[in-house]
Amino acid sequence: MAESRIPESNPFVEIATHLFLEDIAAKVGVSGLNNYLVSLARNLANSMPKEEYGTWPEFLSALTTGQSILSTFEEVRPVTEHCMSTLRSPFERGWHEYAKRVGAFAPVHREVAQYYNHKVRPTAVTSVHVVLHTFREAAAARVRVGDRVVRYEPVATTWVDGEVQLPEDAKLEPLLKRAGISRTKLGMLLRNHSDVWLIESA
Amino acid sequence: MIDVALASLIEDMIEKAGADGVVEFWQRVGDNLASRMGKEAYLGWTSFNVAVREGRTAFSIEGEVTPLTDMAVTDVDGDVVGYLYAMRQCCYVPTIFRTRFAVGRMSPADRAVTSEYNENVHNIAVCNFCVFHERFREEIAKNVTVSGNSLACYLLATRGWSGEAKISPKNVAQVNINEDHVRALLRNYECVYALVMRGARIKGDR
Repeated sequence: MAESRIPESNPFVEIATHLFLEDIAAKVGVSGLNNYLVSLARNLANSMPKEEYGTWPEFLSALTTGQSILSTFEEVRPVTEHCMSTLRSPFERGWHEYAKRVGAFAPVHREVAQYYNHKVRPTAVTSVHVVLHTFREAAAARVRVGDRVVRYEPVATTWVDGEVQLPEDAKLEPLLKRAGISRTKLGMLLRNHSDVWLIESA
Repeated sequence: MIDVALASLIEDMIEKAGADGVVEFWQRVGDNLASRMGKEAYLGWTSFNVAVREGRTAFSIEGEVTPLTDMAVTDVDGDVVGYLYAMRQCCYVPTIFRTRFAVGRMSPADRAVTSEYNENVHNIAVCNFCVFHERFREEIAKNVTVSGNSLACYLLATRGWSGEAKISPKNVAQVNINEDHVRALLRNYECVYALVMRGARIKGDR
C-alpha cells in the first residue's frame, strides 16, 4: 500500500490538525476555511518536485508503484488508462481515531465540503476532500508525460461512513466516457473504494 | 496526508499571524481538544497506571505511553503522589519522516514556531507539535482524578528526531526528580512527563 512506503503517521497529529482547522473556521468562517484548505493543498503540491515521463504507461507504472507525487499518500489502482481508483482514503485512520477518542466529527467539516461543492466542484463529502482534490489537481499539473501536462478531475468520492458524492448526471456522463467506464462499473468500484478519479493529458 | 499538509498550513499562518500567533493558536487547539475529551476517575495509582498501559486514558490518544512505575513522585510524608510517564516515540516524528519522503525537507515554519515557544514560553520544545502537546496534556490532567485528586502534568524532557534533547530544570525541580535520572530516560524515550496529584506537597518542595 502506498501509505506504507512512507512511515505511518501518528493519528494524534491528524486529530490535532482537524482541531486546528475547526479553530480556524471559528475565526474566519466556512468560506475562510475553504480558502485555507485550498491554499495549504496547493502549497503542499507546489513544494513537491516536478515529474516527467516519456510515455503514459511509464507514468501509470510510477503511479501504481508509489513513485509519483500523485501516489505519495494513497494507493492508486488504475481501472483503465485514464480512470484511477483509491482503495482506502488517506484520511480514514485519522477519522477513526477522532471518532474513537474525541467523538463525532464537528459539523464544520461537512459545511466546508458543501461550500466547496457549491463553489468549486461537487465531489467533497468532508473537509479533507477539499484538500485531497485540490492537492491532486495541483500535483497533476506538475507532471508532464511526453510534452503534455497532466490534468486531474474527480469522478466520485465515498467517505468512511459510506456517503457518496457524485457530480450531477449531466456532468457525470461525459466524465465516465473520458474515464472509459460505465455507470455500473462506477457503482461496483464505489462499493469498496474511497475515490474514483480521472487523469489525462491536458 | 493532512499531517504533512499541516506544515504548509503553519507556513501560511506565520505569514498572517506571526510565529507568536501560531503558538497561541496551537495552545488554544490544545485547550479545545482537551475540553472534548471528558472526565476520568480512578480509584488509585494502580488502576490509573493499568489504564495507561492498556491505552484507556485520555493520555493514550497520543500513542503508546509507558508508566514508569519505578519512578514514583513522593510527598513530604513519603506517600506516592505521582509517577513519571514516557513515550518511546514523539508523536510528530513519523510526520517529520513522512514530510522528508513526500516533500524532500521539513518546512522552516516548524523551526520558527519551536524557537518562538522556547524563547518566550518554555524551553522544552523540539518541534512545533510540542507547543500543542504540552498544553493539551496540562489540560487533560485537570480532568483526570486519582483517589479523588485531580492531576497536574509537568513536561520534563524531550528528544527530537535529530537527537537534540531538552530538559526542563524548572519542572524537574517541581517534582523533585534527579536531572540525571531524567537524562538517562532519554536514551530510551523521546518524551518524559510527570503526573502528580494537584496540590500535593512534594518532598523537597521549594
